[in-house]
Amino acid sequence: MATRFVWTPQSVDLVRSAAAQLTVVNGIPVLAFDASADEICDLPGVAPQGLTGTLTLVVFGFMASATSGTVGMGAAVEAITPGDAVDRDTTTAFGAINYATSATVPGTAGYEFATSITLTVSGSLAAGDDFRIEARRDADGTGSTDSATGDWYVTRFELRDAA
Amino acid sequence: MTVLDTTNRVVVWATMMQRMSDGRESTALTKAQLRAAVDAIDDWVEANAAAFNSAIPQPARGALTTAQKARLLMLIAEQRYGVG
Repeated sequence: MATRFVWTPQSVDLVRSAAAQLTVVNGIPVLAFDASADEICDLPGVAPQGLTGTLTLVVFGFMASATSGTVGMGAAVEAITPGDAVDRDTTTAFGAINYATSATVPGTAGYEFATSITLTVSGSLAAGDDFRIEARRDADGTGSTDSATGDWYVTRFELRDAA
Repeated sequence: MTVLDTTNRVVVWATMMQRMSDGRESTALTKAQLRAAVDAIDDWVEANAAAFNSAIPQPARGALTTAQKARLLMLIAEQRYGVG
């Protein structure tokens, strides 16, 4: 796999009503995803030339307090090709949410771990597409098991393709 | 008075988790286990509310409102066990 994009907490879009919180922990900017309800951030970009194959979103972070249980993550992709019949003033075109296999948190809070989501894109994500990935902690367990208490501090998102 | 409804128990549960996160308080409890503790403690408060009220001597028992009595209980608990 090849890395195609990396998002830091400062480079995501926090425009949703239930957005993750941008904060600083030990000098590290993080996105704090609550444990009690789903929170979302958007990962924007333009699909690079040569993008190929299965896309994987890797999420890096650490727990604020939990030393047991699992966290769940979901992601949906919106891909807009210039010329698409999508009125961006009023509609969105996200596909179905893809859920990661629940990740077991480390036995020590603060230890970094990562979880991966295989992305399926409604239609396709072609080079040059204006895209957004809606990434959420699945706190309510809709598509995964999220049992770990407290905030999940996300430090990075990485998009990989099959190259 | 009755026990807290689900919405308010969720508020307590979420607030507790947020404070633990903010304080970096490590815990092996899962969300469900913590929620069970919230429910049990609320049930206990309900079951013992009358005894708590009876323990307050007059004239305070008659002069304090229910909310003031609850606040006094919270302050005492914080002073005894620390704010966490």
